[in-house]
Amino acid sequence: MNIIAAAAVQDSKKEKGKNRGRTAGSYLYVLPAVVLFVVFVAYPILWVISESLYGKDASHPSGFAGLNHYWQVFQDPVFWRVLLNMFLWAAITIPVQMIVGGTIAYLIERYTSRSKTFFRVMFFLPVITSVSVVSIVWSQLYAPYYGIVQEYAKLIGLQLSMSPLGEPSLAIYALIVVNIWEWTGFSMIMYVAGINNIPNELWDAARIDGAHGWHLTTRFIVPLLSPVTRSLLMLGIIGTLQTFPIVHLMTDGGPDHASEIFGTYIFKEGFVIGDTGYASALSTLVLIIALGLSIVQIVALGARLSPSRRQTV
Amino acid sequence: MSAVVAQPRRLRVTMKLWAKLILLTVLLLWMIPEIYMVSVALRSPDAAFAPQLFTFPITFDNFITVIRENPLLTFFWNSLVITCGTVAIVLMAASTFAFAASVLKLRGSMLMYTSLLTTLMIPIASIVLPIAIMLKGFGWINSYQGLILPYAALGTPYAIVIIKTFMDDSPRDLFEAALIDGCSRWQLFRHVAIPLIKPAVIFVAVWQFIVTWNEFFLALVVMTDSDYKTVTLVPMQYSGMYMANPGALFAILVIIAVPLLFLYTLVQKYFIAGLLSGAVKG
Repeated sequence: MNIIAAAAVQDSKKEKGKNRGRTAGSYLYVLPAVVLFVVFVAYPILWVISESLYGKDASHPSGFAGLNHYWQVFQDPVFWRVLLNMFLWAAITIPVQMIVGGTIAYLIERYTSRSKTFFRVMFFLPVITSVSVVSIVWSQLYAPYYGIVQEYAKLIGLQLSMSPLGEPSLAIYALIVVNIWEWTGFSMIMYVAGINNIPNELWDAARIDGAHGWHLTTRFIVPLLSPVTRSLLMLGIIGTLQTFPIVHLMTDGGPDHASEIFGTYIFKEGFVIGDTGYASALSTLVLIIALGLSIVQIVALGARLSPSRRQTV
Repeated sequence: MSAVVAQPRRLRVTMKLWAKLILLTVLLLWMIPEIYMVSVALRSPDAAFAPQLFTFPITFDNFITVIRENPLLTFFWNSLVITCGTVAIVLMAASTFAFAASVLKLRGSMLMYTSLLTTLMIPIASIVLPIAIMLKGFGWINSYQGLILPYAALGTPYAIVIIKTFMDDSPRDLFEAALIDGCSRWQLFRHVAIPLIKPAVIFVAVWQFIVTWNEFFLALVVMTDSDYKTVTLVPMQYSGMYMANPGALFAILVIIAVPLLFLYTLVQKYFIAGLLSGAVKG
């Protein structure tokens, strides 16, 4: 910080009034971000790509392996299970969070006044609760015999002899429920911002047009909030690819890989088994998927993580 | 005339009542896990496995036991140092970068910005292996900088997007007026840009704080020595130890969760203000 400050001040003394922003000193402003990016993001990406071609695996020592690791990945049934799970994760989590979070936000912003802050804070609490805390609490909730989820499921006639986390056909859905619970507050808060950014004149205009109820919602509110929806879509996909702790702590991808996701599978292959070549091929595929999805989104929807005022209105 | 006006008003009052009722019901359901967490922490060992949301009587013994038996303060200190360090670096790196790209219009900065954008989606999972190997090479396993710098690197792109957008939306004339007045670039940054983007900076700071405090994957890999473990790693460490005594385990969970919940309720006003001012337009 000090170095940049000193250099920039000196620099500006020398050429006060000259063409700004084209001098070497200005590059000090981008330096910290660029250095961090190169060392901890760009270099690891290159390492992963090279390791996927050269790294070792269970049957081969280090050395050029070509596309062998990729070939192994594609023949691995667990990989396809992971892809399916990631797809399910995004396809269920994102729309449910949007609808529930959006509805809650709408009810809060339109119909509450003094209790507004209370509701905004309370629904956001799961987002702030540490994910490892969330995982342990939910594991207990799901547990057989003493877990209260099972206790309440009995009331509606559902009976399981074991935790849904131990049931191969249910595990991934049980995890998705936890994830939705944890992150819906984030969708809510984003929609809160979106609703508040709708100018009052537009509300008035809609009211004068006689829009109300379902008509108001579908024709007016939903389209106006589409920038929020688009950024939630993008953030939801990022979040899906980033998923790790919930699965690692609650099922560790089990039983028998039924709830395996990229994070847990790479962790096992790379750190537990030590097949760095195979883990790197997996990582590279994740990177390709992530890059492909970002490009699709940026081209199709624009970089909607934080659209500017001009775009919104 | 008055009857015509009164009708919609009465309707609106009923709607408000219904909306609040729905919100309260959903909230109660939504809070079950949090309530359950506190409830189990307050149970005596013989009631710990009862399948009810509440049991009586309540006891604070679990809290006394776990506080006496464990160095929880160390974990909080570790998390605090790492989180504050990360937030400071992210704010510094992101605001200077955004300033260069948005106000100074530095040549090449748009290209850098675009490449940052495409890497926003990178999952930690895919680069955790090389980061771990690199940190080992630096001798940074079990060190604060070993988590702070990678966290800062991973957090900066999103922070840049938010801050840059906010700067783009700020009135240009202010910057031009300041330049005509003979401001240096640093003065322009420090005294014009920073005050303008304050809501965005607060938003980023709060969000980065939450994300860093709760990060799990990299912390799991980097902090193997229990002297350096962060708060998020602690429940895992104790879930085996207190397997037969969920009351004690849940007391630890409460101790871990509450400070951040408390902190958020303190700063949420500014966080929401940042959101509403357009820091994140969604």
